[in-house]
Amino acid sequence: MDERRSISRRKLLHTLAGTGVIAAADLAWWDAPYIGPRKAWGAEPVRFQWSVPEPTRIALINSLVERFNQSQKDFAVQVEYVPQAQARQKLISSIAGGNPPDLCQVWDNWVGQFNGMGAVEDITARAKSWKHFADVAPTAWQTVTISDKIISLPLSVTLDGIYYRTDRLKELGLKEPTPDWTWDEFLSLAKAFTKADKNQYGYGMRGSGTWALLYPSEFAYANGAEVLKDGKVTINSKEAIDAVAWYVDLALKHKVTPPSAATDGFVEIVETFGRGVTSMYQHNSGSAGQQKKNVGAGNFATLPLPIGPANKRASFWFSETLTMFKGARNKEGAWQFMSFMLEEEPSLKYCATLGLLPARKSILEKPEFAKDPAQAGFVNSFPIGIVSPYLAYPGWGGKIDSDGVPLIQQAILGKISAKECLDRFADILKKEMS
Amino acid sequence: MTTLSVAKSRTRPLISWRVRKLLIGYSYLVPAALCLLATVVVPIILAIKMSLYADVLYKPQDYRFIGLGNYVRLVQDPVFWLTLWNSVVWVFGSVILQFVFGFAAALLLQQAFRGRALVRTLTLLPWIIPGVVVGLIWQWLYQPNYGVINDLLIRAGWMQERIAWLSSPDFAMGAVVFTNVWRGIPFFAIMLLAGLQAVPDELYEAAHVDGAGVLARFWHITLPLLRPIIVVATATRIIWTFNYADLIFVMTGGGPANATQITSTYTLLQAYSSLDFGYAGALSVVLLLVMLAFTTVYLRVTKGVEET
Repeated sequence: MDERRSISRRKLLHTLAGTGVIAAADLAWWDAPYIGPRKAWGAEPVRFQWSVPEPTRIALINSLVERFNQSQKDFAVQVEYVPQAQARQKLISSIAGGNPPDLCQVWDNWVGQFNGMGAVEDITARAKSWKHFADVAPTAWQTVTISDKIISLPLSVTLDGIYYRTDRLKELGLKEPTPDWTWDEFLSLAKAFTKADKNQYGYGMRGSGTWALLYPSEFAYANGAEVLKDGKVTINSKEAIDAVAWYVDLALKHKVTPPSAATDGFVEIVETFGRGVTSMYQHNSGSAGQQKKNVGAGNFATLPLPIGPANKRASFWFSETLTMFKGARNKEGAWQFMSFMLEEEPSLKYCATLGLLPARKSILEKPEFAKDPAQAGFVNSFPIGIVSPYLAYPGWGGKIDSDGVPLIQQAILGKISAKECLDRFADILKKEMS
Repeated sequence: MTTLSVAKSRTRPLISWRVRKLLIGYSYLVPAALCLLATVVVPIILAIKMSLYADVLYKPQDYRFIGLGNYVRLVQDPVFWLTLWNSVVWVFGSVILQFVFGFAAALLLQQAFRGRALVRTLTLLPWIIPGVVVGLIWQWLYQPNYGVINDLLIRAGWMQERIAWLSSPDFAMGAVVFTNVWRGIPFFAIMLLAGLQAVPDELYEAAHVDGAGVLARFWHITLPLLRPIIVVATATRIIWTFNYADLIFVMTGGGPANATQITSTYTLLQAYSSLDFGYAGALSVVLLLVMLAFTTVYLRVTKGVEET
């Protein structure tokens, strides 16, 4: 037997072990098979409330939490999943009852209220000494800063844009809209897409939930209006009234929206687009992943919001935040997990899987975001992004839901005029300015 | 030798046997009374106290006693009056129709036919399904663009244009009431069926011999004998429906433009959207008073019916 060709048992074992190491190193760490939790006796629990429990997010968060728990032995994150509809209620009850979770995932429009309740931990010192502080987009920091105090970490950011069906454009022989399109072009396209007899509509207007009022507000900015100017509520200015009148006319006069517009919420606008009932809708990048499954990645694209008569446009920034509570029992563990979630790989995995935009500039430049046509509209919206004006006062968020949404619904239904809607809403906002 | 012992005088117990018996009886009630106190009375007192304060959670600095301030605001709030009217439509629309159809179902299920046991079980289905699931199912059925209802009506040629059942202020309340009726029919059907089974057949036979027709038998035998059940079932159902917010919350969220906003959903909105617990407390207290007033009047009107 030729000894040069034979492999000893030791060599074979070395080769196998080496191959295993190379294979393991080649695997993305989050895709590595989960073997079992590392025994971390004495690891301090970190209670983490998660409020959007849908299957993809649950699998993703479970995976990220397991990785965090395995990466160190001092803390063990325990996720408490709560349906989004009940999340706010549960958090308020737990804060009022003196037993909040250590950490929660919420949108920044809730954080103001929690901060007003005196429940949110000031993390300014930790954030400013954090190694990625400068890499987070300044506007993202603005969304989580109240009275010069940083109160959350922005896990991901969103900007609104317009989704449109590229396959329908081709089918109808329509011209491809450009990123600098105008209101008139938007309306023409919406009209061209509308074939009511075939149950097809140009624009999926949102009439339910907080964003039912935020979307027309963005259109108001494109007409030169503002919600708050020099410390005064100006949402009922002439520019705002004209813009909202134009917006509700999409339903009332031009009839380019489905008949259900007045109560269509997030699920409905996403579903109707996915089923071919509508060919455009306004939303952030969060539904891009869903539309890739619904209509196919090659059959839709996104654009920034159209330019208004004032030759302006604005898209409201929002942040999905990780927020620590003052009553947290394990603040160090909560901070460790928050900062872990904004490390490059967890952040990239989280945002790319869910179609969200990362708050860190260096991650945003990666091809997963910069070169994806489904994200182009949102990436191109960064220059027109402004912090939502409704974050200015903690009471405004709740008033949008309780009073603002019924008012805009009445306007969409033609029960009241845009002027009446905005005059009444302005009065409500003024009362909540303390 | 005989020894004599002086009999000790019997000391009278400190508490008489009669009182002791009474106390023992009451002591058995103590655990239940404590539970009731902790879960019903204390929360009501706390809600009344809350309603007398400016208690907006995100404005802890403004927390103060304002007396009847929240009640004055409530009287001046047009949305409150709208929700109260909506509650009346929601409650009585639902309960009256549930009762009528439930009674009809009970009369049908009382008849002997093949597969009756199976039909009785199937009748219970809407009642077994959780309210939130019922809301979601019907929301999809009503969906104007791809819901089954519009599709069937258009295919049948009964409708030309799609109707946005839950998005139109003219149809939304009717649509949620219809769903609630669908869900509540089994409750009345089962309650009344139990009552029907307790009516002795001899009464019907005797009436039949005396020449009473179907309607006369129903009017003079069935209805009077079922009255106690009808009173209890409708009263329970009215109170329940008044506070029942699940269906509306899921199907319309109180919209469009408050067209389906009832007082209980409005209370939730004030508490958990506006975080105005003081005003929500005032709304809750008014809800309690309305229900107390209704129950008192209802029991007075139907007084003696149970003994019929």
